Amino acid sequence: MAFNPLEHRGIPLDDQLRDWSELDVAPIDPDKADPYTRCRIITMNGIEVEAVMFSHHFNRICPDLEVKQQLARVRYIEQQQQKVVNWLLPGQASVLETTIAYEQVAVDLTGWVARMEPDPYLKQAYEFGVLEDFDHLYRYANLYEMIEHRKAEKIVDQLTEITPGRPTYLHHRDPVDNVREPYDRRTAEPISKLHALTIMSAEQQTMNFYMNVGPLYMEPIARQLYQEIGLVEEEHVTHYESLVDPGETWWERLVNHEYNECYLYYSFMQTESDPRVKGIWELHLNMELEHLRLACDLMRRHDGRDPESVLAPALPEPVTFEPNKELVRHLLATQLDLTTLGTGYVREAHERFEKMQNKINAQRDAGERVIDEHREMFGQEYRLETDGPNPVERLREKTA
Amino acid sequence: MSSTSIDVPSTDDVVGLLRAQHGQIRDLFDLVMGSSGPERRESFTHLVRLLAVHETAEEEIVHPVARRKLPGGQGMIDDRLAEEREAKELLAELDGMDPEDPQFLPKLDKLRVAVLSHARAEERYEFDRLGDQFSDAQRKGLAAAVRAAEAAAPTHPHPGTESATKNMLVGPAAAIADRVRDIIRNPDKH
Ligand SMILES: [Fe+2]
Ligand SMILES: [Fe+2]
Ligand SMILES: [Fe+2]
Ligand SMILES: [Fe+2]
Repeated sequence: MAFNPLEHRGIPLDDQLRDWSELDVAPIDPDKADPYTRCRIITMNGIEVEAVMFSHHFNRICPDLEVKQQLARVRYIEQQQQKVVNWLLPGQASVLETTIAYEQVAVDLTGWVARMEPDPYLKQAYEFGVLEDFDHLYRYANLYEMIEHRKAEKIVDQLTEITPGRPTYLHHRDPVDNVREPYDRRTAEPISKLHALTIMSAEQQTMNFYMNVGPLYMEPIARQLYQEIGLVEEEHVTHYESLVDPGETWWERLVNHEYNECYLYYSFMQTESDPRVKGIWELHLNMELEHLRLACDLMRRHDGRDPESVLAPALPEPVTFEPNKELVRHLLATQLDLTTLGTGYVREAHERFEKMQNKINAQRDAGERVIDEHREMFGQEYRLETDGPNPVERLREKTA
Repeated sequence: MSSTSIDVPSTDDVVGLLRAQHGQIRDLFDLVMGSSGPERRESFTHLVRLLAVHETAEEEIVHPVARRKLPGGQGMIDDRLAEEREAKELLAELDGMDPEDPQFLPKLDKLRVAVLSHARAEERYEFDRLGDQFSDAQRKGLAAAVRAAEAAAPTHPHPGTESATKNMLVGPAAAIADRVRDIIRNPDKH
């Protein structure tokens, strides 16, 4: 049955504040939890972080005291939601284990969005990006076995394959070529707006995470790899955020943010395997319904427009974490050589790309060296190829 | 299939060696919980043995060094020893049990979380800092000492022996402790 968040009443804002004991959630099991439960937690953390930061930026440009006060009240609740969601992660998990889970999110969330996106230009943006995070997963998995002596399949299970994608050293493009064209807010499908917001938020959280945890490592190769991939995440945030129409008003953006939160909590409530975590998704959905109602009121009052005119009449199909092995293998076989030029894509390495590459890759990058060092230590690379060898001949492992 | 073998590679670094054992221990819990019958019994025996040698090695060699060399080492090692004692008690209970007993898996699960939390605390507060304290030669020497302690450690846990002085009474362990002291005091000779 179709769910229209505009037709449901949530929890009144006055009743949403939680005390310390309610915020003190028990974490999921570090080894026994469903990997996709962990993926949903990481996704919703990224969504809540974006909700908070968007609201702060709005506060900084908003001259209306009453609106600022309402934003502050809702934002405090979004912060509590972020605390509950992210604190579901267990303290026993290492930074690198969480990193591998972040890249699993990037592969299987972007994979889903790429398959569901109706607009061909936007679809291409997701297909392009997924091959890069897929490669990051492989580099971090090799680092993991080197410093924690454990295999990344213990984290991703057999759900996501681990094998080279578009090699990380080729991700470093001239920043100019990371900017895409936006969708048109008047003609874009509502689902396209939700997709862009979701992937932008997830990539932004990944970027912030690597920016902060990279220097916690002592191992030089780990420090260097986080630095390199952290810079690629900067490119990804630029890539995805420029898909969003900058012509949307602040009120419209606020409505889209709250609507997207409803969509994702509703989706995860439908697909969650852990009943306790499902209860959290349901509670947060009921909070977001009220945030959405308040945002819609602001839009009617300040924009003079009906939110219904920019929103879908019902929520699209639930966002689902599931394997994307077939999609990734197809993209490896067909889009490995792509790079960007201006706002489009090309197959040949153009002048601006080469210039950037020559400069930044003057020495062998950490992404290549982590594989070299793993081979030195173990005699081979770490890979998890559940469905046969890498579809691209030159990405298959060279046996000594 | 993953492309690398199950065996942990030999490492010359004491921190790497202990970390590798933490990974092996974690995987062995998976193996015990995921099997049944004689297979479960066998992997459980393997787990008990590895836990005993690993913890003994830490108590004999790494903790005393951390206690002396690291700022705050005294209190930190007291915390780790309390955790190890708790884990040993759980392990001793399990060791006398039939793996098919309905109480076995819930108890094992309690031990699993206790051991994993303990191992992470060691890695974060002890191992990460040990890395700064010693030269490559010292790390290498300590790794050799851990291996020697592994060879000499008991195959069944004995609660109450976690203080280094008591274990010194055991011949080979005392010899290893002497060797570690020697390595730390005279790094040039090694
Ligand atoms: Fe929220
Ligand atoms: Fe990314
Ligand atoms: Fe919200
Ligand atoms: Fe340990």
